[in-house]
Amino acid sequence: MQILDTENISLIFRDKLVLENISFSVTAGEFFVIIGPNGAGKTSLLKVLAGLQKTQHGSVTIKNRNITKYRRRNLSQIMAIVPQHIEVGFPFTVADTVIMGRTPHLGILGMEGKEDYLRAREAMEFTEVAHLAERKLYQLSGGELQRVIIARAICQQPEIILLDEPTTALDPAHQLKIMDLMEKFRREKGTTIIMVSHDLNLASMYGDRLLLLKEGRVVETGAPKSVLNKELLEESYGCRMMVDESPLGQAARVTPIPDKYLQNYE
Amino acid sequence: MFTPKSYKTYIILLLMIILLQPGSLPAETVTDQVGRTFNVPENPGRIIALAPSITEIMYDLGQEKRLVGVTQYSTYPPEAESLPRVGSYVRLDIEKIVALQPDLCLAIKDGNPKHIVDKLVNLGIPVYVVNPRNLKQIMDVVTRLGSLLNAEQKAKELVLDMEKRIGQVQSRVKKGARRPRVFFQIDAEPLFSAGTNTFIHELIEMAGGINTTAGEVAYPRFSWEDIIVLQPEIVLISSMAGGLPPEYLLKSWQKWSMLSAVKNGRIYVVDAELFDRPTPRLVDGLEVIAAIIHPELFIKSDKRD
Amino acid sequence: MSIGKTIAFTTLLLCAVLIFISVVAISAGSSGIHFWEIMKTLTGKSVTDSATATIIWQIRIPRVILAASVGGTLALGGLVFQALLRNPLAEPYILGISGGSAIGAILAMLIGLSFFPGVALFSFGGSLLVLAFVTTLAGTALGNTMLSRDSLLLGGVMMNAFCAAVIMFLISMTRSFQVQHILYWLMGDLSSLQGGQLAILILVIPCFAVIFIMARPMNLLLLGRETAAAMGINVKNTILLLLIITSLMVSIIVSLSGLVGFVGLVIPHIFRSIFGPDHRVLVPACILGGASYLIVCDLLARILPSSGEMPVGIITALIGAPLFIILLLRGRS
Repeated sequence: MQILDTENISLIFRDKLVLENISFSVTAGEFFVIIGPNGAGKTSLLKVLAGLQKTQHGSVTIKNRNITKYRRRNLSQIMAIVPQHIEVGFPFTVADTVIMGRTPHLGILGMEGKEDYLRAREAMEFTEVAHLAERKLYQLSGGELQRVIIARAICQQPEIILLDEPTTALDPAHQLKIMDLMEKFRREKGTTIIMVSHDLNLASMYGDRLLLLKEGRVVETGAPKSVLNKELLEESYGCRMMVDESPLGQAARVTPIPDKYLQNYE
Repeated sequence: MFTPKSYKTYIILLLMIILLQPGSLPAETVTDQVGRTFNVPENPGRIIALAPSITEIMYDLGQEKRLVGVTQYSTYPPEAESLPRVGSYVRLDIEKIVALQPDLCLAIKDGNPKHIVDKLVNLGIPVYVVNPRNLKQIMDVVTRLGSLLNAEQKAKELVLDMEKRIGQVQSRVKKGARRPRVFFQIDAEPLFSAGTNTFIHELIEMAGGINTTAGEVAYPRFSWEDIIVLQPEIVLISSMAGGLPPEYLLKSWQKWSMLSAVKNGRIYVVDAELFDRPTPRLVDGLEVIAAIIHPELFIKSDKRD
Repeated sequence: MSIGKTIAFTTLLLCAVLIFISVVAISAGSSGIHFWEIMKTLTGKSVTDSATATIIWQIRIPRVILAASVGGTLALGGLVFQALLRNPLAEPYILGISGGSAIGAILAMLIGLSFFPGVALFSFGGSLLVLAFVTTLAGTALGNTMLSRDSLLLGGVMMNAFCAAVIMFLISMTRSFQVQHILYWLMGDLSSLQGGQLAILILVIPCFAVIFIMARPMNLLLLGRETAAAMGINVKNTILLLLIITSLMVSIIVSLSGLVGFVGLVIPHIFRSIFGPDHRVLVPACILGGASYLIVCDLLARILPSSGEMPVGIITALIGAPLFIILLLRGRS
């Protein structure tokens, strides 16, 4: 089923047309990756999908219901967000942070109960940060912090997880770890993953469907092989690209070409 | 500070408090100097004076035995130093006052914090408030306290003495030729003087001078420039001005040689104690000023230099 | 320990501390120590002389209640503003409350109004006026988002600076005996309130309750507004409600006590370092701990000087400032 639909979304922010006429759908359980150059509007689009940004035009539908009809609390029981940066100013521990993800499921004066602590534990083990439970957030490395936030998102027991460039600041090992985590979560729980990414190869290897965004407009949606088309990519990103089949098999491989290699290539 | 409207409430409140008190001591109804009417004991034996001037007057009336507490700067007469202190007259310590179990408190409107007076009244302690604004009202205070403390005779004697001495000054001054311009310095760095609504003004005028700093503001600030315009012929400096030594105070005037007061050496330091408290000693102050202003009319020696 | 148990334990512990400190403070004062009288009165055998009874019941107990309310409110106010502005250096006066209330109070004193209700009302009014101004400014002219914390902070700092200038001007116009009154108000002083006027303090209790209910949303706000929203908090309403309730409660207290400083800054820090950053524990901790702290400070203000008393704000500053420096230094390591 289509868990998320957008229809003709347009967004004007500070007198600038950030998103123009965007329509697409995401199937439940899909690994959906949004790619595009800097300034294309990817983060804004994610915020719109999360219900954090209202659009002047168009609609977002979650599970066949307009997003504006959801109360904040109910929406957060369906959708979790992993932002790009988080603040670590206050001395919360990892355990404190992860269990905050249970908020949408607790009452007003809700105190966490045994089940909540259990789920938090599970989430931390799933993302392999359980051994860091008592550490303060500012004591963690980038990769560890990212996994803590994902654990918090998992705690929300969402049906959709939105991630904003989760791998950008990480080394290759950690990048793979995060992507594998998302894949595992998707496979085991049937969660829909919607991710914004800069990494075209990771998008190629993990994504079920991609969306290429340029200057607020959809260039192409579809399977990675059809979106990762040399002409489309070169036109969208504005640099020379080489697209071939990855030696690992089954996925397209994208390589941006530096000037000094151009003569070899031509 | 005291608003006339609140007194009606206090009359009712006080009457209620007094009527509801079981077996009170013999009491009489009085009206104090600010118009409040209430009951006080006929023979109060535990009085707290809430201002140094009141302490002084009680000693003048010979009723110091009734005193159980005074305020911090009650330094005159010296015997008052041994009495228990209840804070300063602008920062009264209500706990200490209540602990002394007074049957009457004597307060002064200009200075005692109203909320403390109100609190005392609320706690059932009668407070008699005075508000002397000139010599005549000081004499009235003496008379009233005399009646409160069963010392009417002594009070009458005191008032008569004051009236006699004031009368003497006034009659001699009338014979004087002209009225010199006088500047009275109360404080130094910055310099403050006295406006019309003060005792100092009254004393200067009574002593045959013209108060150059008469005006609406009670304690106006002056710059040297303003003073030169005033052209004082006589300068009187309070000994407590700025807490500075008299030589220093006198010297600070010397550089303004264009002033006639400086040219003629008519700059004097006078004892602050005679001028800043609303007590009979103000008459001493009056005599000091009169002798300085019109030395030819008075045989009393002045405090020169 | 589960969160429920932690809250209960902390609350009970600090309640015990508060009760103990209150008894000490009621037993002591400038007229001597009356510990046994207190005990006797409390156990029903009240045969103390009437002066002592008056001192205890009509002077000290109202004073201790006032000190507790002021301390609890200011500490809680500091906690809330630190969460709202996501800034551990925030304190309850940061949005202009100090400037506005001071101008109101000074104006009232210049006109010659009595402390209650005149000065208190003017001070409360002044505070609200400035707050309205700051929030309007923050809502429209300054930030891009409604009530963004930067625009709130900026507006508050600007108003406080402007008010400081106005205050200096007003002080220069006063006569010398009034200056002392004003100074004492600016330093924070608990001596002017009468027993009968204490009823006003009841108003802060519902504020405490509301803030406690908002404790969890406060935790989430610390993670950033978008994250909080993503986890189901109605951010705009939460911020508005917290802002209004806290400002009201602090304004009421300031109108009765003047500007007692360093409580709202230091107490939340101390308890945060002991109990952690969970506001469900911190809210009761700051209320009870702040109350105890100010009772102690006021007790010192009453008994330290050889005659009379000093404004409690001096004690809170003398203790609070070095404490704060120590906390900052320890936090670094």
